[in-house]
Amino acid sequence: MLSRTANGLFWMSRYVERMENVARLLDAGHRMENLPQLQGAKSTEWRSIVIASGCRTTFPQPLEQASRNTVPHHLVFDDANPSSIRQCARAARENARAMRTALTSEVWDTLNQSWADLRHRRPEDTLGGRELTEFLDWVKSRGALVRGHIDATILRDEGYAFIELGKWIERADATARILDVKYHVLLPKSSDVGGGLDYLQWLQVLRAANSATAYRHLYRRTIDPEGVVDLLVLNARSPRSLVTGVQGICAALVAIGVHTGAQRATHARAVALREDLRSTGVDAIIMAGLHEWLTGFISEINALATELGAAYGFDGHEVTPGESLQ
Amino acid sequence: MFDEMYDGAKTRREYKIIEEWVARQGIEALLTKRDEAESLFRRIGITFAVYGEGGDPDRLIPFDMVPRIFGASEWERIERGSIQRADALNAFLRDIYSDREIIKAGKVPEAMITGNEAYEPVVAGYCPPLGIYSHVVGVDLVRVSADEIYVLEDNCRTPSGISYVLQNREVMSRMFPELFQSNMIRPVDGYGDMLAEAMQAVAPPMCEGEPTLALLTPGHYNSAYFEHSFLADQMGIELVEGGDLFVKDNRVYMRTTQGPERVDVLYRRIDDAFLDPRAFRPDSMLGVPGIIDAMKAGGVTIVNAPGAGVADDKAIYTYVPDMIRFYLGEEPILPNVPTWRCADDEDYKYVMAHLPELVVKEVHGSGGYGMLIGPAATQEEIATYAKRIEADPDGFIAQPTLALSTAPVLTEHGLAPRHVDLRPFVISGKTTRLIPSGLTRVALREGSLVVNSSQGGGVKDTWVLNAEASDA
Repeated sequence: MLSRTANGLFWMSRYVERMENVARLLDAGHRMENLPQLQGAKSTEWRSIVIASGCRTTFPQPLEQASRNTVPHHLVFDDANPSSIRQCARAARENARAMRTALTSEVWDTLNQSWADLRHRRPEDTLGGRELTEFLDWVKSRGALVRGHIDATILRDEGYAFIELGKWIERADATARILDVKYHVLLPKSSDVGGGLDYLQWLQVLRAANSATAYRHLYRRTIDPEGVVDLLVLNARSPRSLVTGVQGICAALVAIGVHTGAQRATHARAVALREDLRSTGVDAIIMAGLHEWLTGFISEINALATELGAAYGFDGHEVTPGESLQ
Repeated sequence: MFDEMYDGAKTRREYKIIEEWVARQGIEALLTKRDEAESLFRRIGITFAVYGEGGDPDRLIPFDMVPRIFGASEWERIERGSIQRADALNAFLRDIYSDREIIKAGKVPEAMITGNEAYEPVVAGYCPPLGIYSHVVGVDLVRVSADEIYVLEDNCRTPSGISYVLQNREVMSRMFPELFQSNMIRPVDGYGDMLAEAMQAVAPPMCEGEPTLALLTPGHYNSAYFEHSFLADQMGIELVEGGDLFVKDNRVYMRTTQGPERVDVLYRRIDDAFLDPRAFRPDSMLGVPGIIDAMKAGGVTIVNAPGAGVADDKAIYTYVPDMIRFYLGEEPILPNVPTWRCADDEDYKYVMAHLPELVVKEVHGSGGYGMLIGPAATQEEIATYAKRIEADPDGFIAQPTLALSTAPVLTEHGLAPRHVDLRPFVISGKTTRLIPSGLTRVALREGSLVVNSSQGGGVKDTWVLNAEASDA
């Protein structure tokens, strides 16, 4: 397969997944905002959403000014932000358009229609209290529709494996960032750790990862940091955990085929990461400091993506949507 | 005026099948079927619309459902004439990029070559495999009577339109399978194989074993992208862009997920100017640096070869009958339309004195733009155009206004005659041949002579009947 085709499928898939994850993050921010606050305490949830979405550098104001009024706009409509929902939809569609012959009309039509809708959508009809939740549900459903059409209509060949690869890399990265949100949300007083507000914040993290119900089924106990970390990092039964993501990456690489020395090296790196996750315990992660551990994981995933790109001849690491088209 | 279906009140033999079909279906039913055909085009050729940006429906070239038909003996002449023409044009290209015997013999003035924008000095001295420069030639034909078919224009660079020929047939055979069950109509399925075979036959000297083929497109923003991806699919070869290719040690490679893969024969659908920034345009983002050197070293064959365009401009056109006599020792089977070159003093005087009855064209123009159709022009338009010719006589040629043949199209009021032309696609490899069909363009506006799709032209399925059916 041409490397350019692999590149287009990989990034189409990443942007679809990212569009959905940004919607989840916004949803979490929106929910946290409604949590009870102590009098005079400064709210930090919107700041944490900006950091977790990886938009720190594109966010136009100082981080202290991150608020309900600025963050949703930046993450949904801002064209200067390559990870805004609008730009994700555009980039997914543009990458698909260049790869049209490698896709089915079902997948293409869905991406094309999503972009057509978003293109004409106006902030004033979207970002209000009730409209926002409705809109975010719509975005998530568009992502699900693309994934469904991919599952039901795309040939299981090398191209499909690159779509899978993009999805799993993006999802692992996003779950790590969602977990990290909790680190950046300040509790009003240190004595609140383990208190009611702490509990509610962890619950919102689970909700952002679509995992609150799963948590109850799997752990049958009240929400605590150990349980959340286990579910979102180490539990292979969770569709969004880091170990599931890295297992997906390894499986996609086997499906793509490992031909050259560079490809063998990058495959070995992915397998090593998977084995690390399989042999690590929750205690070890919390001991290392969750934030530090997550930071290490995110940089490892990104390094892996870059190395994969070099080995298979595509842009593995972040490119702006315009650049990915050339 | 010659109509291809009716000879006065009598239906010509070839069109009996159409007469019966229309009577059986009824005009009303056919009109309904027309919408069905449209949606079928959108579905199987969805990319027609998609690549027109925003799914703009107007970008679909209108399809007229009434087929255009040639009998076996009519086609036999078109076929022989087109092959003869393609052979002569390739002989001419071979000659002018080497010894230039035709200039030495005084048949073609040297200035016609060296002063020609399409002549590529870098190609001089390079002889491609089998001596073929233009592997796909589109010959534009017009018919004025039962026996008179003229060549209007040659296309030696990257002629397009073959995808319509194949898609039109696909749609017709899906909608009216009964028409094809009698086996009277010769099939067109072989085009992809024919082209792939020709490409394999011109593998470069450095290639050992089975050559790898690829199709080079400017990319999905190009208006002919659909045809490019369609043809790549038909041949089962990779569709590549300039950025997918690189040259190393005079061999061309594509970047694939399994590492570099060599390309031996490249069917390019981009203009010469964008092939190789090192050889032609340093400012070009498209193209493959070093590919021309690789071609000259025998590491890759480019189909059609760069510089092939020198054989097809409207000024060279007038010399093609002489080329046929000079290289093949034959008389032209399909004659040229009589043409006056305004560069010639005598011709210039004649043209300026007869503008109201002539068609005048720019030598380098295309797409039916910038033409003067004398009989249809106002005095004012003629006067304005005369000034343009006066300013640059070398830039213009003139031809008599031909009474292009008409073929029936389906309208709200039944069948109605409209003017048509024909472009067969001649493929040159080990042998020179063509599929029994071509692109029929039709001027859908009543009375119009301009068949270009940019100006209201449509297309038709083009049938060639087998010998038994033609004699019936």
